[in-house]
Amino acid sequence: MSASAYAIEGVDMTRRFGGFAALDGVSLAVPHGEIRGLIGPNGAGKSTLMDVLSGRAQTWSGRVMMDGRDISGMGAVERRRAGLARSFQRTNIFPDLTIDEQIRLAAATAERDNSDEVMAELGLADLAHRRAADVSYGDQRRLDLALALVGRPKVLLLDEPAAGLSMQESMVLAGILRDLAGRWGVTVLLVEHDMEVIFSICSRVTVLHLGKILADGTPDEIRRIPEVVTAYLGSSVE
Amino acid sequence: MTDIVAGAPARSGRSGFLAVLVVLGAAGCVLPFVVQSALILTLMTQATINAVLATGVGFLLRQNGTVSFGHAAFFGLSAYATALLVKFGFPAEVAIVMAVVLPTLFALALGVVIVRITGVAFSMLTLAVAQAFHELFLKWRELANGDDGMAIAFPARVFGLDMAIFQQPASMFLVCWVALIAVILGLWLLARSRFGTLTLAIRENEERARYIGYRTVLPRAIIYAISAAVCALGGLLFALYNGFVSPGTLHWSLSGEALIMAIIGGPRLIWGPALGGVIFFFIKNAAGDFTDHWPAVIGVIVILVTVLMPRGVGGVLVWLGRRRNGGRGE
Amino acid sequence: MVINILNGLVYGGLLYILAVGLVLIFGLRRVVNFAHGSLFMVGGYVAFAVAAVSNFWLAMVVAIVVLAILGVILDRFVFRPLQHEDPIATVLVTFGLLLVLEDVVKTIWGKDFLSLAAPPLLSGTVSIVGETFPVYRLMVIAVAVLVAVGLSLWLRFSRIGLYVRASSVDPVTTGMQGVDTDRVSAAVVAIGAGLAGLSGTIAAPLMALSPSMGSFILIDSFIVVVVGGLGSFSGAFIAALVIGQVHNFGIVYIPWAASLIPFLLMVAVLIWRPTGLAGGRA
Repeated sequence: MSASAYAIEGVDMTRRFGGFAALDGVSLAVPHGEIRGLIGPNGAGKSTLMDVLSGRAQTWSGRVMMDGRDISGMGAVERRRAGLARSFQRTNIFPDLTIDEQIRLAAATAERDNSDEVMAELGLADLAHRRAADVSYGDQRRLDLALALVGRPKVLLLDEPAAGLSMQESMVLAGILRDLAGRWGVTVLLVEHDMEVIFSICSRVTVLHLGKILADGTPDEIRRIPEVVTAYLGSSVE
Repeated sequence: MTDIVAGAPARSGRSGFLAVLVVLGAAGCVLPFVVQSALILTLMTQATINAVLATGVGFLLRQNGTVSFGHAAFFGLSAYATALLVKFGFPAEVAIVMAVVLPTLFALALGVVIVRITGVAFSMLTLAVAQAFHELFLKWRELANGDDGMAIAFPARVFGLDMAIFQQPASMFLVCWVALIAVILGLWLLARSRFGTLTLAIRENEERARYIGYRTVLPRAIIYAISAAVCALGGLLFALYNGFVSPGTLHWSLSGEALIMAIIGGPRLIWGPALGGVIFFFIKNAAGDFTDHWPAVIGVIVILVTVLMPRGVGGVLVWLGRRRNGGRGE
Repeated sequence: MVINILNGLVYGGLLYILAVGLVLIFGLRRVVNFAHGSLFMVGGYVAFAVAAVSNFWLAMVVAIVVLAILGVILDRFVFRPLQHEDPIATVLVTFGLLLVLEDVVKTIWGKDFLSLAAPPLLSGTVSIVGETFPVYRLMVIAVAVLVAVGLSLWLRFSRIGLYVRASSVDPVTTGMQGVDTDRVSAAVVAIGAGLAGLSGTIAAPLMALSPSMGSFILIDSFIVVVVGGLGSFSGAFIAALVIGQVHNFGIVYIPWAASLIPFLLMVAVLIWRPTGLAGGRA
């Protein structure tokens, strides 16, 4: 049924800024239905990787494939229509539209309109007719996520969805993600700094450091690798 | 403080807006029967044509968030198209329809290229467009008589109607007023449609719009073309009424005035620019009698309105209306 | 032919000096000064007034100084208060200023064309490849080159220049470095306005002075800035060269379409590269 074992795959992805390689020959393959965590210190290349996979990066080399299909040449619009959605680290919503309007707008390009389901799951149903700019930061983060979730994409790239959220809000969000991903069979690649979120919902974790993959394994395996600990501790000492 | 473009377009309640529109529409239709003075009717007709032009420029500002200093080009091109098509022997009916269609098609083609340019560079580009056409029609005397302008030889009957309808103030006011109301209604419906919501979304966050699966160039180009079509309609009305066209109809200062009308009236509202057009026209006529320094007066008004009253007169009226109604939401 | 190219360089030079002022102001205040053409015009008229009672050279100096002062006023009362608002607000206010300045000039000097004579020192001609070419025009080219060189050196080696370049790239971080942004902006806007005054003065003997002279060259200088890439000095230089040549060849060979050509060129460049030749930012 599927053309490939992998829902989303990047091969030999490299992105340079001048002489500096933000991403250096990274290959990553996420099987269907997996929730994969992507962690690493600041500057590791996580955002760059997300940008390459989502079509935001302009100059890069390598290949990106969805279910075996090469989408390297596609822009963001085409990738979305092919079933690849992403959310953003810095909240990227439509401030003056109501929550309802923008979610339905996003749903209109997908094959199915599950706006009501998404709004209910993310606790936005009561706020549906409020302007996005008028709701709380936490609600806006969830809206950013909702815009990616609506229409049931095949692959979800999430860039620090819990950024700025309290511990409790983050765990609630994590629970929702795990639940929806399980029900819908969506493949997720999740960039996060919040380790609680990562370890609670990801079945595998990839660690990036200085533009290369440092380690790859289950959450338990990862947290035991000394290099990972060093990389994280090393980078947090300014 | 200043939220002319960045602020949200006002999204009015359905019944309130339609009710007001119907009332104003009816009032306008009654006017020619009530007012006898040909002078006032002439002024009202010209004010209404102004209002159409302002509505086009204002709509672009509202939906795309971009400022065009070149929309007079579409106004003037339409007037000149009417003149030239008639001159070249086309039936007046064809000339009238093409006078709106041709500039709109051109605007669509141009729009697809220039809506990719964001911010102030776009405004500068539109200025150059107006300038280019102005120079063309000014200097190419064989085509359009240059600065002396062209008279339009309309036949006696057009679309089965007596041409005099378009050239008498009383009847022409009716025609223009109906056209204005129809345009406002049409734009309002468009703004409330899914397409209207999309263009607002693109205006607010073009990147995210692409990430939720929408191409962003064509919708903006279509808005540009629609706003151009409205200005072209204004140009057509101008040509019908005056029977004469000159390069002044293409000058960027006319666009500038239209922009000022939109700002004065309130660009967040669909009907704001039209109100601004009427206000501006009457101030101009009143002031024109008192002073030669009309440009400086406009300049000062623009500065004051931009800084002190960015919602425009229309915006203030809406705000007052809401306060009176006990702060009922939209 | 050579003469045509030289004439193209003359106009390109005037455009460059004017466009550079726009780029300076944009780089710092992130706004496009719609009144820049009016500053050019005022420069020409101030020079005219001063030259009537003294000589050309003094007139030029006075025009530059007066415009620089105007620039400081403009920065303090228009750009600075509006800096955190929508840039469109500044566009509209400077547009309003354009109208006011045009009227002021018209009131003081009337709307008939006036002329300012070139200084006697430069009123001769030279022979270039067998044809005569006015010395004054050579001076204009020389001034433009001097401005270009001076500007490059200043940007590269002075502290304010460093700040301008940094601000062009990242205004927020630069602002946080502890530099007094307002004082630097005032200085830079003063320089930009002064350059407009310089351009207006040296343009005066070449074109008739009229209240609308600002509008024409404003549009061409906008084209230069957009084609070159908003915020780019080198882009403006190249674009001014090109537009100057194109404008001139247009006037010589197809006068009725002369102003269509820069416009078409701009559209063509923007189709190819939406952020201009040097790829600035909007």
